[in-house]
Amino acid sequence: MMALVYDFVWRTLHALLHLQRVLISWFRIRLWNWRLWKQAVAALLVPVALGFQNHKTLGPPAGKRGLRRVRWGADGKSLEKLPMHVGLLIAEDELHYTDIANLVVWCMAVGISYVSVYDNQGIFRRNNSRLMDEILKQQQDLLGLESTKYSVEFLNNRNEKQDHQVMSCQAVVKVLSPDDGKPSIVRAAQELCRSVEQKERRSKDIDVHLLDSILRESVHIPDPDLVLKFGPVESTLGFLPWHIRLTEFISLPSHTDVSYEDIFSALKRFATCEQRQGK
Amino acid sequence: MSWIRERELSLIERLTANILKAGPMPKHVAFIMDGNRRYARKRHVERQEGHTQGFDKLAETLRWCLNLDIREVTVYAFSIENFKRSKEEVDGLMELAKQKFSRLLEEQENLEKHGVCIRVLGDLTLLPLDLQEVIAKAVVSTRKHNNCFLNVCFAYTSRHEIANAVKEMAWGVEEGLLKSSDVSESLLSKCLYSSSSPDPDLLIRTSGEVRLSDFLLWQTSYSCLVFQSVLWPEYSFWNLCEAILQYQLSYLSLQKARDLHREQQALQQLEADRNCVADLMMHHGKGNGKAADTHSRQEHLLNYAADREERVQGFLGTLQHRRDSYFTELAGKAALA
Repeated sequence: MMALVYDFVWRTLHALLHLQRVLISWFRIRLWNWRLWKQAVAALLVPVALGFQNHKTLGPPAGKRGLRRVRWGADGKSLEKLPMHVGLLIAEDELHYTDIANLVVWCMAVGISYVSVYDNQGIFRRNNSRLMDEILKQQQDLLGLESTKYSVEFLNNRNEKQDHQVMSCQAVVKVLSPDDGKPSIVRAAQELCRSVEQKERRSKDIDVHLLDSILRESVHIPDPDLVLKFGPVESTLGFLPWHIRLTEFISLPSHTDVSYEDIFSALKRFATCEQRQGK
Repeated sequence: MSWIRERELSLIERLTANILKAGPMPKHVAFIMDGNRRYARKRHVERQEGHTQGFDKLAETLRWCLNLDIREVTVYAFSIENFKRSKEEVDGLMELAKQKFSRLLEEQENLEKHGVCIRVLGDLTLLPLDLQEVIAKAVVSTRKHNNCFLNVCFAYTSRHEIANAVKEMAWGVEEGLLKSSDVSESLLSKCLYSSSSPDPDLLIRTSGEVRLSDFLLWQTSYSCLVFQSVLWPEYSFWNLCEAILQYQLSYLSLQKARDLHREQQALQQLEADRNCVADLMMHHGKGNGKAADTHSRQEHLLNYAADREERVQGFLGTLQHRRDSYFTELAGKAALA
């Protein structure tokens, strides 16, 4: 009898929590739309503000982009510290390529050198080129930059800056999947065991540094300083277990319609984190 | 202060516990007990006092876990990185550990009543010998208990643990117990210090830090991570309930992600076996290579998998024996002394 009552209370509690979650995400989107409205009104009131831009060749829209680019770059510099490598972990079933591409471009614009994108089903890995195309498109839309280099795995974008403010977008983007996690550690272990089998190495020579150097080669990029996790699931979902030793995790409710301000406040939070490294 | 605090829950706590238990409950919870030093600073007491209160909180938390039917708890007591702290603090922590593990030996009866099995995970050889001996005695004396499990990570980091597992497998290869192709994700998991425990369902870190700090990186890939801002010595029953609620909210998605991972793992193993069989067939029966139809290929594959499993089991048996005898010998030495 009591068990039934407990079960009923538990169900009610969880129904309420789900309702709360839905309401929060609903308000978030409302709020975002409202913010857009505010920005639109502001833009109407100050159309002349962009007049002094001297990039005649780029035209007015590109001028606005230039301004935005400079602002984002300055935002990045205003922070006490900026992560070198940011991982974007999408823990949601529905993936929106445009939103992800926006996230990547914002990260690049504030001056982050390495951005990786991960989902635990390997969807981005399978649709790598689609994501890369979307990033290029958003990069042009948001920043008005010409991309010069672009490969399937990496996207290198180097551009010469004509602006007087020093702001260059140079970033490596990498798509990661669960296969880069435990399976890559297993492959490194196999490699080491094979060299022991062939008497090239002794088992007692194996230590953290040796394994780390092999795993570093397999990923090519530094350990992530910060992982931004999007979605309601509180987990790393298999994201690079070896490399997240000192990574800070910041959760955001969803990547759908995420705004620049959301990302910037997460970066601000990261800037205030202190790492003691065991001390 | 003993290891398990004897105190029953209040009526309202019992009621809450029963409501939570109507949903899916974590079977194994891991804690990063952070904030002892900040607590000491906040309360203007000695740093060592903060660590002592932190230990008392652990005893209390274990009691709550038992009340909530959580039978396995893993705690991060001392990281290899912590050796970098001032000598005074490290010595203080070693002394506290020695005192608590000795205390544990005096509490045999209580531990037996609850059936608590204590395991210590980490590279114990980094510790002073007298502490190693006390730890070994505690581990050996509770080895047979199987009602609930407390894993204390001491002189531990996860990278060290993974690298050590690779070293153990390489040792197996050296001794001719394993082939390098037998190395797999599941084998690596079984060579970790935590080989006898299931992966934790829930990991809780207190004091507002939002990183894993080299703790159970391998084991928590699909666990629910909960970061709470409360300092560890101030942790309450309600904080624990909140974390469990978070776990329950993520439960279905995590289950799905875990199933997907398990499927991938099985596929990888099959693929590895297939490659090994293909290699073997290339080497041996060149003559009847053409005749190898699907049926016999399937048979070869099954045979190969059975052989591999036998090798792996043999190796794991040897490894377990070696680890057990390390503790038994140390405990024996301590008894003689």
